[in-house]
Amino acid sequence: MANEVKFDTREEVDFAIIGSGSAGGILAKELSTAGFKVVVLEQGPYRKASDFNHDELSVFVRGELLGGHNDVHGQTFRQTENDIADRPDVQPARYARNVGGSSVHFTANFWRLRPVDFKERSLLGPIAGTNFADWPITYEELEPYYTKVDWEIGVSGAPGPFDAPRSKPFPMPPMPIKSSGVLMERAAKKLGLHAQPEPHAILSQPHNGRAGCISCGYCMYYGCEAGAKSSTLAAMIPLAEASGNCEIRPDSTVIRIDTNDQGRASQVVYLDAAGTEQAQKAKAVVLSANGAESARLLLMSASPQHPDGLANSSGFVGRNLMHNAHSAVNGVFEYPLNDYKGVQVSRIIHDFYETDEQRGFYGGGGIDARPLFSATPIFHVLAGRDPNVPRWGKQFKETMAHDFTRQMSVVGSTTSLALDSNNITLDPESKDAWGRPAIRETYMDHPDDLAMAGFLEDRAAEILDAAGAVKSWRRGIHPTNGGEHLLGTCRMGDDPASSVVDSKHRSHDVPNLFVCDGSSMVTSGRGQPTMTIMALAFRAADHIKAAAGNGDI
Amino acid sequence: MKNIGKLSRRHFLQSTGSLTGAAYFRLLGPGIVAITQAACSAKEAQAAFKVLTASEASDFAAIAARIMPTTDTPGATEAGVVYFFDNAFAAEMSTELSDAREGLAKFNAALDKAHPDNAGFDTLSEDAQDAFLKTQQTGYFFNLSWAMTMFGFFSMEKYGGNKDQLGWDLIGFEGSHGAWQYPFGHYDAEVHAETKHGE
Repeated sequence: MANEVKFDTREEVDFAIIGSGSAGGILAKELSTAGFKVVVLEQGPYRKASDFNHDELSVFVRGELLGGHNDVHGQTFRQTENDIADRPDVQPARYARNVGGSSVHFTANFWRLRPVDFKERSLLGPIAGTNFADWPITYEELEPYYTKVDWEIGVSGAPGPFDAPRSKPFPMPPMPIKSSGVLMERAAKKLGLHAQPEPHAILSQPHNGRAGCISCGYCMYYGCEAGAKSSTLAAMIPLAEASGNCEIRPDSTVIRIDTNDQGRASQVVYLDAAGTEQAQKAKAVVLSANGAESARLLLMSASPQHPDGLANSSGFVGRNLMHNAHSAVNGVFEYPLNDYKGVQVSRIIHDFYETDEQRGFYGGGGIDARPLFSATPIFHVLAGRDPNVPRWGKQFKETMAHDFTRQMSVVGSTTSLALDSNNITLDPESKDAWGRPAIRETYMDHPDDLAMAGFLEDRAAEILDAAGAVKSWRRGIHPTNGGEHLLGTCRMGDDPASSVVDSKHRSHDVPNLFVCDGSSMVTSGRGQPTMTIMALAFRAADHIKAAAGNGDI
Repeated sequence: MKNIGKLSRRHFLQSTGSLTGAAYFRLLGPGIVAITQAACSAKEAQAAFKVLTASEASDFAAIAARIMPTTDTPGATEAGVVYFFDNAFAAEMSTELSDAREGLAKFNAALDKAHPDNAGFDTLSEDAQDAFLKTQQTGYFFNLSWAMTMFGFFSMEKYGGNKDQLGWDLIGFEGSHGAWQYPFGHYDAEVHAETKHGE
C-alpha cells in the first residue's frame, strides 16, 4: 500500500489503540484521518477478504477465527464466586482474533437501541440487587452517530413500526426476504404481531466502493470473502491505512498499560509475533479490546500506584458483564426453505421490545427467524437435528436428509441485567499461551433474564405453529456458560464511584486513557449490540479529537 | 526480553489451534447423549493408510457404516469416511490415537464376549452389528467414532471423506458455493415471483 507507514516503538505516537474491532477499527480511522499518528495493536493476525473460506471444519470446529480453542486461552468459568472455576474446552468469553475483531465473524444483525434503553432505570425504578442504571447519554445524543454508522459502515434495512427515530433514511434497501422470513411474516399476521425487515451490517448493493452481498450464506462465524459484510476490516481499516497516519500492527499481544509518575498512561507493553516484549510509547491510549479483554488488561495493569488495576478506583472494572440471554425453537416445514443460502435473518419481530410490567419481570427482546443450526451441515448434526430421533442409523440418516433444508429456528434475544456477581476477573492459576493470567468469567443469568428468554421461547413456539411447522422442538432455557456479547465491564457514567469512564469514554482515574467498546454499555439492549458499539466509537472519536485539538489528552 | 518458549507464537497457534479431542467433545456437548459394508472402501481402492492398520481401518469403516448406513442412498462407506479417520489420526488427532486404539481394543473385547466366534465386527450381519453397537453407544469410544463419522461425512472433501460431496448431496446442501440467487426455497419463491411481476 502506497501510504503504508511504520512507527518506531520508541517514537511517541499520538494514540496507541488496543484492538481493531468494532470500536478500535472506527477509532483508528477517525483519529488517523484527522491527522493524528496512530498505532493499532491487534492480537490476532491480519487476514484479508481473500483469506476467508467456507471450511466448516476449520472455522466452526477448530475455531480458526477464535485463535483456537481454550487450550490456548485458558479461560475459566464459574456461576458464582462460591463455585470452583473450571476450564472448559471452549472459551466462555468468545470473540474473533484478527484485524477487524468480531465484526469480521459476526452475523451482522444490526439493531439500534431505542430512547427507552438509555433511561429505563428512571422509567421503571430500581431493581433490587442489581446495578441497573441510566446511561449518561441519551438516544438523541447518539442518533447522529447511528446515522454515521449507517452511511459510513454500510447498513441495509427499512424502517419498522416501532423503530427509534432516525435523522436520515437507510442508505440502501434491506436484504431480500427468505423463506424463513416469509413463514414468520405469515405467522405474525395471524397472531397480530408485526414482522419487519432485518437491518444488516451487510451491503444489499454496492456502497462506498465496496461490493454488495453475493448471498453465499456464510455470515455467522465466518469472514466475508466479498467484503460485503460491514466489518471494520472492510469498511474502516483501509481508510485508516490510506491516511498514511495509521499502522495496524497485528500479532501484538498486549500485556499491560504502563503509567508514569504523574499517573498518566505512558506506553503499551506487548509481545510481538515472535513473543518478544515490546513497548509502544503514546501520548494517549485507547482501549478497545472488547468487554472481556479490556477489563482483563486494566486488571493486569495493576501497579503500586493502581493496586486494584488501572482505572479501577470504583472497583467497577470487570463487573456488570452482560451477555444477552437467548432462546431458540426449531421447526421443520413441508417443503424446502434452503435457508442456508443468503444472510441469516430477513424478518424480525419487535413487539416485545419494551418491558411490560404485566409479564411480572424486567426485560424485553426481539425475535427473528433464521436457519441458525441449519446454516451448515456439521453445525446441524451437532446442535440442530431433531433430538427425538436416534443419533445414528437409518432413521437418523433419513431425518437428516429430510430436515436440513426444511428447518429454521425462531430465535429470541433479550436483555441482561447488570450485576456485581457477573464479572471478569483474573484467574489466580490459569494462564493463556502467552503467560498472561487467563480470563475468569463468573456468570449466572438474573432470573428476570431467564424469564424473558422463556417468554420469547413461548412466543417462538406459537409463531412456528402459526407458520405451519410440521414438527418443532425447543432448546430449553438454561443459564448460559459464556457468550459472544461482551458488555458492561467498564461502564460509562457521570459518577466516578460507580463507573469506569465518563460520558466521553475518558477514564475517571487516568486522564489520557480512553476505553470504548462493548464494555462501555450501561444496559444490554435487546441482544444485537454491535451497532451501538460502533456508534459509541464514532461519538468517542469526535470527543477525543476535540480534546486532542485542545491539547487535553 | 521475554520469550514464550521455543515456539514462535505463529507456530504455537498452528500446533494448538487444531482439532483436538477436547474440541470434539465440547461439540458433543451435554445436549447429545445418546454400523456392514464388509469391505471398507479403502481396501477396494487399495489406498494406503497413513497410521491405521488394515484391521483398524476395517473396524472404523464398519462402525462408521452403521452410524451413517448405506441405504438407497450412499453412506459413510461411499463417502470414504475412514480416510478422514486416518488423516485426522495422522495429524491433528494424533494425540488421540492411542486412546482411540485402547477404545477399539475394549470394543473388540466386548464383541468377543458377545460373539465368541466372530471374525471381526465387519463380518457380522448388519442387524447383529446394530444390536451390538446399541450396547456400546455411550462413552468415549463411541462418541469419538460418532463425531469423526460426522466430520468425515460432512466436512470438505480435502479432509478425506465426503467423497464427491456425497454427504452434502444427501441432505440437499448444495455445497460451499459462491453466489446464490433468490429465491432460495419454496416459500420465498412466490414472493419473489410477485415482486418481479409487480415491477
